[in-house]
Amino acid sequence: MTHKTGQLPINDSAAVQLSVRQWLCALGLSFGLAWLLPEAWTAFEPFEPVQHYRVPYELSEDYWLYERWLDQIPPDVISVVGDSVVWGEYTAHDGTLSRFLGDATGMPFANAGINGLYPLALWGLVEHHGSALAKRRVLLHCNLLWMSDPEADMQLAKEQVFNHPALVPQFAPRIPCYRGDIDMRLARALERRLEPLSWVRHLQQTYFSQKSAPEWTLADDGKFPPAYPNTYRLPVGIPLSSELPSVKRGLSSERHKPWSANQSGKANMEWVTPENSLQWLAFRRLANRLQGSGSNLLVVVGPLNEHIMNDATLEKHQVFLTAVTAWLSVEGIRFVVPEVLPSDEFADASHPLTEGYERLAKRLVADPVFKTWLAQ
Amino acid sequence: MLFHTWTFFIFFIVTIVVFWALRPTRFWLHWILLASAVFYGWWHPYYLLLVFYSTALDYFIVSWMERGPRLAKLGWRFSASVVVLVGAVVVGLMAPGGWGGLAAAVGFFAVVLAVGHWLRSRRAWLWVSIINNLSVLVFFKYAGFAIENLNTLLARLGAGQLPSAESLMPPGWEYVLPVGISFYTFQSMSYTIDFYRGIIAREPSFVRFAAFVTFFPQLVAGPIERAKNLLPQFSKTPRVTLADVSDGASLFLVGLFKKVVLANYLGPYVDRVYGDVATQGGAALALATFAFGWQIYFDFSGYTDMARGVARCMGFRLMLNFRNPYLAVSLADFWSRWHISLSTWFRDYVYIPLGGSRVGRIKLWRNLLITFVVSGLWHGAAWTFLIWGMLHGLGLIANRGLEQAAWWRDRCPRLAKRLVVFAFVCFAWVFFRAESLGQAVEILQRIFTTGWTDPRMPLLLLLLVVSVWVYQFVYESPLHSWLEKPPVKVGLAVVMILWMLLFAPGGGEPFIYFQF
Repeated sequence: MTHKTGQLPINDSAAVQLSVRQWLCALGLSFGLAWLLPEAWTAFEPFEPVQHYRVPYELSEDYWLYERWLDQIPPDVISVVGDSVVWGEYTAHDGTLSRFLGDATGMPFANAGINGLYPLALWGLVEHHGSALAKRRVLLHCNLLWMSDPEADMQLAKEQVFNHPALVPQFAPRIPCYRGDIDMRLARALERRLEPLSWVRHLQQTYFSQKSAPEWTLADDGKFPPAYPNTYRLPVGIPLSSELPSVKRGLSSERHKPWSANQSGKANMEWVTPENSLQWLAFRRLANRLQGSGSNLLVVVGPLNEHIMNDATLEKHQVFLTAVTAWLSVEGIRFVVPEVLPSDEFADASHPLTEGYERLAKRLVADPVFKTWLAQ
Repeated sequence: MLFHTWTFFIFFIVTIVVFWALRPTRFWLHWILLASAVFYGWWHPYYLLLVFYSTALDYFIVSWMERGPRLAKLGWRFSASVVVLVGAVVVGLMAPGGWGGLAAAVGFFAVVLAVGHWLRSRRAWLWVSIINNLSVLVFFKYAGFAIENLNTLLARLGAGQLPSAESLMPPGWEYVLPVGISFYTFQSMSYTIDFYRGIIAREPSFVRFAAFVTFFPQLVAGPIERAKNLLPQFSKTPRVTLADVSDGASLFLVGLFKKVVLANYLGPYVDRVYGDVATQGGAALALATFAFGWQIYFDFSGYTDMARGVARCMGFRLMLNFRNPYLAVSLADFWSRWHISLSTWFRDYVYIPLGGSRVGRIKLWRNLLITFVVSGLWHGAAWTFLIWGMLHGLGLIANRGLEQAAWWRDRCPRLAKRLVVFAFVCFAWVFFRAESLGQAVEILQRIFTTGWTDPRMPLLLLLLVVSVWVYQFVYESPLHSWLEKPPVKVGLAVVMILWMLLFAPGGGEPFIYFQF
């Protein structure tokens, strides 16, 4: 249908009055371009991951890059999926579990962890950005620390600010501490389903300091009096293929030291029950999802830093661990529960230091279940 | 619920699908009323009380106005009003805390209604409607301002202080300005005035009248529709064609682009400069003032475009509210292009009753000044709005003088006139945007006295605004037909869609005019 000509303009300043046919053209072109642009962008933006690559900390919320990284991993490489324990919170990119597993087995492993994740977000990551993990060998890490108290399990009614809000379930199951309004939840639910929107976030993360382009041009430098460095500047991005040198990670960093050096005493953790744990339920969905998509899955449970726990906490930890292993057995999911690492190889309650990762890799490789899984 | 949010998107999809499905039945009208109630109640459910009070009041008053002469004796309505009044007095005397304020308000309305029933004339009912509507508006919009100024005066005189407006609210009820109260009050009042003047007939159906007043696309920020235009559209089942849907979508797209891309980009820049006036140079303040002029235009006209687009998709045609105001060649021309539904409201219900232009020069100036001061106050209870209105009144008077001069009328290029009008409008915007009168004066002082400092206006922002201005110039030039070419229109639509997808900042910033 075309528009009658000679009518008064319907609009004041713009009067971009499209007929139905023109609308169809405009929508077709817009959505076609929106879907083509991310694809075309990969030709324009180089991405050649360095050895032992991991998604840079600064780009942790760049899920489009994560997908690109997964797509780039050859089918014979084993992906190690998990939170900051897999990613390597205290270590350099070449001091992580995937690197030492590669060394110990002679087989290629890839670090498919992201900093700041937790089971509820990990589920969203795999569900919406992890299609490349299907029909591959996947080592999935289960960090029980997220179930060690109601706050970490996100059960508290008090509003909580947390990482990766775009990955958690937006409507069901309900997360009591998540207070995003309906608009935000809908926007987040849409963003993870539509690739162009994920790509826009990639541009924002990489080139515009995690802001939209207009916001970036207006941003100040955070000092007083403020300066506005981007007013007349072109965007410059964070390197994708490697990570910026960090004083916070690696053998020479100040943070890379045993937990006991901080002189913190033993911790009392409340633990939630497996039946009520949001994080554990999310992990179960995640494991089922991976298994259902044909991934050859191995779950590594822990190890947590038991040296940090008091007796009561240890007992509760054991109860939870038993429930976890029981469920994995029932579901027919292969799993390994590694022996706890020496105290001075933990940086905190769950993150090993570089030596810890090396030891953990060796212990895993010696485990019969791991061996069987690897041999398949 | 804001138009540029996902919540509205879902609300609209549900509303329009059910509306289309119900069109063959008589329930489409009830559905619009229900959808409008949900839309408005989304902000605050108690807002619904006010909008339905205003609606019911005007509906019944017009009904009594029509039957007034036939109601020969004082009926049960008068008795009911008196009973309500007595009840309000008793409750007011006995009730604890803030309930006294509500009782006083109910008592006041009962008195006004009782007087109306006592007099039973058309004119009396007209005044009952005006007093009732304006009382609600004044309480929520101006009471705080009036009490604050009166208390300042009383303090100087050494007298006691008046209670705050907040203290008159019932316990647990927040004293907040209900969104859109100025818009729907004026719309509802215009129905009564037009009926009184014999311009329109009484609407017999309450549901239809309520749907007209509360019609959700235009409820909170206009256009302030006249019953003569919109009410008849509710009298028959709206015919929705594909062209209506495509036109509506076109309007919505342009409006969304204006709001999300342009207004929301300009806003933070203006806030930054106006938020730190003392350290800003003249160039930054001048540029931020121009930016505010564009921000408020994109914000408000964007809202109107979206409102008209939404209504159009349902087969309703709302009036044009903006027509490239920054291309105006005179101030009178500006007011025929800016917020047309409000300026014509004031023209018809304030300016013309005062005598309009068919009076002597001094009275004409008085009429203009009164109309624009009232228009300024309509925007808010602050001296800055009053000055803004007064400036426009004075500007119109000066403009009329200029139009008498041949050099201005015949020899001054149109471009120069446009720039002069734009500069004046922006000058007045300083008062509109400033936090206080003192800040407005400081801004103007600094614009004209401080030296150059880098305004730090993002180049991208400047380019966007200049592009739109150039587009508008072309739109009102002989090259206009070029913009009507299908490839150009499709190209512009694609650019707008992709720009919003790629660059629009997040967050559902509220519309500026919601505060009025």
